[in-house]
Amino acid sequence: MPRTYEAVYIFDSTLEDAAINDKINRFNGLLHAKAQPETAHWGRRQLAYSIGAKDNGYYVVSKFETEPATLPEYERALRLDDGVIRYLITLHEHEVGAPPQSEEDLAAATRRDDDDDDED
Amino acid sequence: MRRPTKSCPFCESRVRWVDYKDDRTLGRFITDQGKILPSRLSGVCARHQRQLATAIKRARFLALIPYIRGHQA
Repeated sequence: MPRTYEAVYIFDSTLEDAAINDKINRFNGLLHAKAQPETAHWGRRQLAYSIGAKDNGYYVVSKFETEPATLPEYERALRLDDGVIRYLITLHEHEVGAPPQSEEDLAAATRRDDDDDDED
Repeated sequence: MRRPTKSCPFCESRVRWVDYKDDRTLGRFITDQGKILPSRLSGVCARHQRQLATAIKRARFLALIPYIRGHQA
């Protein structure tokens, strides 16, 4: 059963944009995804702390649907790539199709909070 | 004595899931040192506090927010 994942890559900010796109295409190829992964480029930004000797990174967020069996090979490619400073792959299932909280839910949550306060 | 009730900022803004990529929102829920703010101070409900803790830890790993603020390596 295919599952939806979200990956964030932090590339070395000294890489050319073309090189980064090449790498992303190569990673996407490893996923054998039916639909083209959605990629959002955040661009170069300062890291909150230095990683190794690097203070800046090029952030890319990618959302894709794939079989869990394809992940080990994909992750291996990410790990071995020197251009990738850091990456994070997370399941992205709960945001999909989750309805926004209704008025009743909110009222129920508020009531529960009030009940909690009565206890102490 | 009954404490004044604090309402959860996430519930109020109808956030269903706390996003680890939203470093500006997460920044409101960490102390000056970079620690996760306890829900008794922020008023975040238990459900969102659990999500928030995971989100902050993920954001730290991605260098979106610091582990320790003001730390010089």
